[in-house]
Amino acid sequence: MLARQAWSPYLAGVVIGLLQIPAFLLIETALGASSSYVTIGGMFASWIDPSILKIEYVARHVAATGKNWWQVALVIGIAIGSFVSMKLSGAKRAAISPIWQRALGSTSPAKRYAVAFIGGFVLLLGARIADGCTSGHGLSGMAQLAVGSTVAVAAMFAGGIATAMLLLRRI
Amino acid sequence: MSVTLAIAVGIAMGIVFGFALEKSRVFEPGIIVGQMQLRNFIMLKVFLTAVATGAVVLAVLNGFGYVKLQPKAAAYAADIVGGLLLGAGISLAGACPGTTLAQIGAGYRDAFFTLVGGLFGAVAYSYAQPALAKTFLGQSGPKLIFSNVFGVPYWAGALVLAAVIVVILVGLEAWSPWRGEMGKDVDGDLPASPPARKTSTHAQPAE
Repeated sequence: MLARQAWSPYLAGVVIGLLQIPAFLLIETALGASSSYVTIGGMFASWIDPSILKIEYVARHVAATGKNWWQVALVIGIAIGSFVSMKLSGAKRAAISPIWQRALGSTSPAKRYAVAFIGGFVLLLGARIADGCTSGHGLSGMAQLAVGSTVAVAAMFAGGIATAMLLLRRI
Repeated sequence: MSVTLAIAVGIAMGIVFGFALEKSRVFEPGIIVGQMQLRNFIMLKVFLTAVATGAVVLAVLNGFGYVKLQPKAAAYAADIVGGLLLGAGISLAGACPGTTLAQIGAGYRDAFFTLVGGLFGAVAYSYAQPALAKTFLGQSGPKLIFSNVFGVPYWAGALVLAAVIVVILVGLEAWSPWRGEMGKDVDGDLPASPPARKTSTHAQPAE
C-alpha cells in the first residue's frame, strides 16, 4: 500500500480531509498553506529590511505563535511526506515534468524556470489578496460552507482554466 | 499549546498531507495543468473528496460542540481578484502553494523557482498591504456561511454538501475513470498527446 505508485483519488482525498480533525482540535485552525509564505518571506525580508516588521500584517504573520509556525511546519512536512512516499514507491521524478515542453513549446529549462518563478509570484500574490489558497479557501472554506471561499474557488478555477487554455499549449 | 508542540504537530500532519498528495499524483504538473485544460479530473476528484470528508468531520465536531468553525470573511472583490490571480498562478506554476512543496519533495527542480517566486510574491503583497487595505481590495465582509443563509444548522448543511459531492463524484468517475487519467509514468502525461521527445533535461536524475 505504502509502496504503491498511485492511490485512488478518493482514498487520498479522505486522508487529506481527515487532517481537519487535528487542525481544529489541536491547533484551533483550519488547514491552510499560503500564510506560511508570508511568515517565511517576511522573516527573510526582515534580515535585509528590518522595517518590514513595522507593517502590522507582517508582524502578525512572523510572530512566534503556534498557528504561524504550525503552518510553516505543515508545508515543510508536505515536502518530507512527498519525499518519503516517492522513495517507497520508486516514482522518482525528472528535473522537469515532460508535460512542460509541450505546454510551453520549448525544451529550455531556463524558460521553464522563469515561468515557474512568475507563476509562483502570481500564485502567492493572488492567494494573499484573496486571503487563502486552494487549501484555506478550497479545502477548509468550502467544507465550512463559507460563501466568500466558494466565490474565491470559482474565481480560482476561472483564472486557471483561462490561463491554461490561452497561455499554455495543450499538453 | 506551545510553539514547539505546534511545530511537532505541524510536521506530523504535513508528512501525512505530503504522502497523500504524492500518492494521489495530484501534485503533478501534468495533473494540475490537465485539470485546467479540462482533460484530466484527478485534481477535482481529490479536492472534492477532501472537501466532503472535511464537511462530515466538521459536521460531527461542530455539531457536538467540540470545535468552533473558522470561516474566512466574505470579501467578494478580494476573493474574485485574488482568486483569478491565484488560478493564473496555478496554471503557470503547475502547482498551488501546498503542492509546490510536494513537488520539491518528489524531485521536481522547477518547483524551487515556484517556491522562491512565491516568497517574493508574498513579500511584495506584504509591502503593498497597507496601501491595498485602503482600496476596494481591503474591504472585509461578514463571516457568512451558506447554512446561515438558508437558515439550517451547520451540520445539516455540511452533510447535504457531502451528499451532493458524492453524487457528483460517482458521475465523474463513471464518465472518466481515474486509472485512465494517470498516464504511464503516473504523471498525467497522457498518450492522447503526441509523444514527448527525450531531451537531456529529462534524462537527468532528480537529485
